[in-house]
Amino acid sequence: MASNRTHALIGWRRARLAAGLAVAGAIALLIVALLAAMAMSAGRGGSGAATPAIAHLLRMSAIQAGLSTILSILAGMAIAWALDRLAFPGRGLLVALFAAALVLPSVVVAAGLLSVWGRNGWINHMLEPLTGLSLGSSAYGLGGILAAHVLLNGAFAARVLLARLEALPANRLKLGQSLGLDALTRFVVLDWPVIRSSLPGLAATIFLLCFTSFAIVLVLGGGPANQTFEVAIYSAVRLDFDLGAAVRLAVIQLVVCSAIILPASTLAPTTALAGATRPTTWRDGPRPRLLASTVIVLGGLGYVLPIGGVVADGLRPSLAALLTSPQFRSAAITSLAVGAGSALLTLALALTLATARAASRNRTQRIALGLPAFAYLAVPAVVLSLGFFLVVRAMGLPSGTLAPVVLILANALMSLPFAMSTLAPPIEAINNRYTRLSRALGLTATQHFTLVEWPLIGRETGIVLALGFCFSLGDLGVISLFGTEHFSTLPWLMLRALGAYRSDDAAGVGLVLLIISLSVFLMVPYLFDRGRHART
Amino acid sequence: MLALDAVSFAWPGWPDRYVFELVVEAGEIVAVTGPSGSGKSTLLDLVAGFLRPLSGSVRLDGESLDDLPPERRPVSILFQGDNLFDHLTAARNVALGLPRDLPRQARARTIASALDEVGLSGLGDRPSARLSGGQKQRVALARTLARNKPVLLLDEPFSALDRDTAGQMRDLVARLTRANRWHTILVTHQQDDVDALADRRFALHHGTLHAG
Repeated sequence: MASNRTHALIGWRRARLAAGLAVAGAIALLIVALLAAMAMSAGRGGSGAATPAIAHLLRMSAIQAGLSTILSILAGMAIAWALDRLAFPGRGLLVALFAAALVLPSVVVAAGLLSVWGRNGWINHMLEPLTGLSLGSSAYGLGGILAAHVLLNGAFAARVLLARLEALPANRLKLGQSLGLDALTRFVVLDWPVIRSSLPGLAATIFLLCFTSFAIVLVLGGGPANQTFEVAIYSAVRLDFDLGAAVRLAVIQLVVCSAIILPASTLAPTTALAGATRPTTWRDGPRPRLLASTVIVLGGLGYVLPIGGVVADGLRPSLAALLTSPQFRSAAITSLAVGAGSALLTLALALTLATARAASRNRTQRIALGLPAFAYLAVPAVVLSLGFFLVVRAMGLPSGTLAPVVLILANALMSLPFAMSTLAPPIEAINNRYTRLSRALGLTATQHFTLVEWPLIGRETGIVLALGFCFSLGDLGVISLFGTEHFSTLPWLMLRALGAYRSDDAAGVGLVLLIISLSVFLMVPYLFDRGRHART
Repeated sequence: MLALDAVSFAWPGWPDRYVFELVVEAGEIVAVTGPSGSGKSTLLDLVAGFLRPLSGSVRLDGESLDDLPPERRPVSILFQGDNLFDHLTAARNVALGLPRDLPRQARARTIASALDEVGLSGLGDRPSARLSGGQKQRVALARTLARNKPVLLLDEPFSALDRDTAGQMRDLVARLTRANRWHTILVTHQQDDVDALADRRFALHHGTLHAG
């Protein structure tokens, strides 16, 4: 009997491994198919005359992404340090808002920055009557791109690094406090080692996100001088109708991203987006506290003001008309449906890969099961979209037919790195701890999952669903090649409104996107966590 | 004399209330035993100042420690682990406990002397990560010695050591406590520690200390 149970357990571990490898293989196959479609189209897709100067694109993308990464990390470190040191009313909400930076739709953030720093923004409105000075269009160009990237990625970095600081063992903190370490020694001895260990993975992730940035560069770039590969690919397809140029650009971007992602894939996962945060009980002296307070005020304002700008701009009388318009309703339904589909697919893929990885002790298998998580980072949204676009064309189908499926699939792949880094560590830990017990008790695969794993990953499941939904909801990269007047999502609708100078409509859509993103990201993990507690 | 006068504490939302009455003389080691969750570490946290009592007072030689934050209390602590910062050398770990205004030469002499006292001469430059478990505890004890605070709190400090190393560490703690007239409180669930070290012993039950 015991032997049969052991065989059963070994059997389900093999089944999990097989399922995981099948998913990894399918994703690899899909990527290869998309690349093959691009390779075949390279020679006959167009003249390539519209190909912009590659060296310029590379240089600008690298400079922009490098500066964005450095500034984001510095801002993130300062804010994480300050949040770790201070306890104040609203701290929990601020931390949650910083965590939500990862899922804020880029096009909404760009609109928020314009609302504050643009020619007609709050700052100019306040500055001009008082001083006669104007910042002009300071939100456009490299400065605007950097500001938007730092706003999004600095907040993300702050949340990740704060989690690392809060994970410091309690005894370490007691020891340091008991030894009377001053603020600087405390940072150097206690904080810096944990921050430093997180930096390579965090910096690589932020660099790739900025290097492949699309919506922000499209809205705030201010012209070809600052465009990234993503925007150049989009321009080649949508504006110049030159598929050859688009494919050439996509191939170069693939090579560059892969060159970055391959060494980065060995770095530790960096996501830590949720969980209770504890305010400090070890107070620094008055001067460090003043510095921390200043950092919180500046960082908080820099982050919250653009969000406030989106809210203020969106709450206009024209909002009611927008919400009842057929175009809005259709785009909203598409966005919600695609978001839900992407979220469920992301969860299914991440669970299959993570449980398979936990079941394997073979190093090669574990690497193979981890690689799909990096597919999106190496093959970014617009490139992925271009591949699908070419496949759909090659099959002779109208692009609108498969667009919803493409959107769900591509957005699920985009969410996968973050889903994996959220789910894989706890599933690994649960299996390390309980597999022998499950073996001893002869639990079946279903029992092991429903009784052991599922109850313990409630919050992480909620985070993955929220991430999958929000990434898809805010996506502008994939839809950029499939969007039409008749097939639209909310970000696509917003971009078109911005392009047509219908700023009230754009602001209204931005507000709706903001509300849905924040609500889902803040509430879904909480609800799943509550559900877990209710069951256990 | 270290005295806990009716020091009471309760975790928010928990019905249990701790009330501690305890006296520790200079040069004395008092052992406190009890099952996990009985409040042993809470007792140490109250003495160290990490927790504030609801009522009662902690006094050393008649002076109240209640208003002093942990970093200003005359207290050293040794945990079961995590006593050292692994990325620093042994000497740098010892130095962390010294006053910042101590001249460089005096600092170096104090560190060398403390490491020598615990039998680790010549290991000052070694990264802590490359020390054995016993050596790490010795370095932590050397830091305690260098700081020479009159109260030493031991939170299961020998639990992770092998039998021989634990024996050596116990001898060292006993010798240093007597020689420096520290007021030492040891919390443990290991009878060996109690038998080897305790001048007096207490059991923690239902939130209060019982002699015996």
